[in-house]
Amino acid sequence: MVDLLQLVFAGLSQGAVYALIAIGFVAVFTVSGVINLAQGEFAALAGLVAISAAGSGLPLPAAAVVAVASVAVVAVLMERLAIAPVKRMTTLVSLILTLGVSTGLKALMLLVYGPNAEGLTPITPGGVTVGGVSIRYQELWILAVAGLVALAVYWFYERTLAGKALRACAEQPVAARLVGISLGRASLTAFLIAGCVGAVAGVLASPVYFTSWESGLTLGLKGFVAATLGGLVSVRGAVLGGLLLGVLENLTAGYVSTGLRDAVAFLLLIIVLVARPSGVFGRHAEARV
Amino acid sequence: MSRRTTRARVAACAAALTLGLAGCAESADSGGDAAATDESGPIRIGAVLDITGAGASLGVPERQALELLAGQLEAEGGIDGREVELIIEDNQSTEDAAAQAMNKLVSQDQVDVVLGASRTGPSLAMRPIAEASQIPMISLAANAAIVEGSEWVFKSAQNDRVVIERMVEYMADQGWTTIGLARDASGFGEGVQEIFDEVGSEAGISVVAVERFAPDATDFTAQMVNLRDAAADVNVIWGIPPAAGLAQRAYAQLGITTPVMQSHGIGNQVFLDTAGEAANGLVAPLGRLVVADQLPEDDPQREVITSFIEDYTAEYGEEPSTFAGHAYDAWQLAIDALREVGTDPQAIRDHLEGVQDFVGISGTFTMTPEDHSGLSKDALVLVGVQDGDWTLLPDQGA
Repeated sequence: MVDLLQLVFAGLSQGAVYALIAIGFVAVFTVSGVINLAQGEFAALAGLVAISAAGSGLPLPAAAVVAVASVAVVAVLMERLAIAPVKRMTTLVSLILTLGVSTGLKALMLLVYGPNAEGLTPITPGGVTVGGVSIRYQELWILAVAGLVALAVYWFYERTLAGKALRACAEQPVAARLVGISLGRASLTAFLIAGCVGAVAGVLASPVYFTSWESGLTLGLKGFVAATLGGLVSVRGAVLGGLLLGVLENLTAGYVSTGLRDAVAFLLLIIVLVARPSGVFGRHAEARV
Repeated sequence: MSRRTTRARVAACAAALTLGLAGCAESADSGGDAAATDESGPIRIGAVLDITGAGASLGVPERQALELLAGQLEAEGGIDGREVELIIEDNQSTEDAAAQAMNKLVSQDQVDVVLGASRTGPSLAMRPIAEASQIPMISLAANAAIVEGSEWVFKSAQNDRVVIERMVEYMADQGWTTIGLARDASGFGEGVQEIFDEVGSEAGISVVAVERFAPDATDFTAQMVNLRDAAADVNVIWGIPPAAGLAQRAYAQLGITTPVMQSHGIGNQVFLDTAGEAANGLVAPLGRLVVADQLPEDDPQREVITSFIEDYTAEYGEEPSTFAGHAYDAWQLAIDALREVGTDPQAIRDHLEGVQDFVGISGTFTMTPEDHSGLSKDALVLVGVQDGDWTLLPDQGA
């Protein structure tokens, strides 16, 4: 029982990281139909920036802010330079474009930060044992901050005018334009959100899971699977998908075989795409946020 | 490719051009092709290292060590007036890229000796190419399978078997009989359990639980929970940093108090940085390099190790790891052979096989036709971690 709880808890904190990255996929996809393969790189870049900022003497919170801000800038630049100029954006074109950006970012990170994997100092080092289950404080931070960010994004879409405008673009692009909502601006906002949540995920995950120039690939793939579990259009679905994936991975590693850990995500992906392409948690709406 | 290689290449091209012209002038009586083959032009040494990917913490210091040594040799004027060109390839810690790089070095660059790879898997992928093309290769990796029955392949890192012999001795001293093993799922960890059972059988030591982790894994909760449940006398974590360090951290985090031993795969600062306080108390058989300052005055390796540490630290501002040491040994073995017998592959191979009492960083090498690794368990000392630093354990027979 203690083992089960331990595995589930570790899975939840890992899943929270996937969930944040999944939110980034959803934010961009709903507004512009773009599947952003550079989403994982946002997280890796944020981790590396935070590590080098902290290494150069900045206090941890400041380093985190610098990391999130620089990744937000990268995301906005990416949208302006690579996404916005394309006249007829299809999902296929977006895949090729963002794959290019992702490869470029990876090469840049390798050049600047070198090939070694490193970890950021934890916000609170150490941990505590509750009923036999050992909990790292950083994992609590991951869960808490990821929860807050997810709530904030949810609140933004449901309660603010700008958020409602984004949802309008997602549901009825033509009608949205008729009432004066700029699609370009909406797409820019979506990328800004994607950059921020990706960066937060990267900074949070770094102390526990470490960051290297190539850690974005796995994070991005897992985040994409999590988003797909929610049908790629729902923030709530993305969060649940991320947590579910994290827990399933850890249970598989603990009870079946550690070699299968990374296979779980892709087995799930195939099952979901064949059986419930609109997502496990989704109702039948095509464009929800 | 590194800057030094590029520079070396430009120089080599210039040299080749000059020689080529000279060759033309002479070709009338020397019969053409002689200039293109053996005994003139630069000597080429290829290296295939795990510079990016899971093996980066091994490959990067290895590259630095090789570049340092190549620079020193260049300053000395090469071997018998011939320039030595070092060509370094990154295998991205993958088997297929290692095989590709090996092919390129052998067929395109026509190197005389190949060093690498850093890890077992990529080294095993390179081995058949070395054997088929009959080019001597010196691997920097651990698993004895790399050189078992090989003709053209040698290695400079201590065999996993001698490491395990050292560990089993220590376990027997401590009265431990059951081992919980968490091992690298790649080539490095292959066969470890079997060797433990075989070497330990006399002392009644056996492995009771095995967990695996990918060399680039980041979460170890599942494996460590299972080790905890196995309740062995001692747990062995067999991997390379950063994975080995993260595993050690997860182990301490779960509050497991069973003693831990690690392999010789952890001999670098990255491990200490990654594992942090969690590393305190662990014991591992490592090369003497990490405890150089604690070695007795009369240690035969002391001088070689100390001067390497000085040179390396002066160049890079950080201390070398044991992996840099493996690269140093492979380089010196190759250079020694090239100095003695020139660039004929068969002669190099025969010379390497006959190496006797060659004092290096990882130990004193004595190769035989049966043993292309050349290091016995005396090449390792038991090292503990205390207050975040390596400490030579007292009372060692060797």
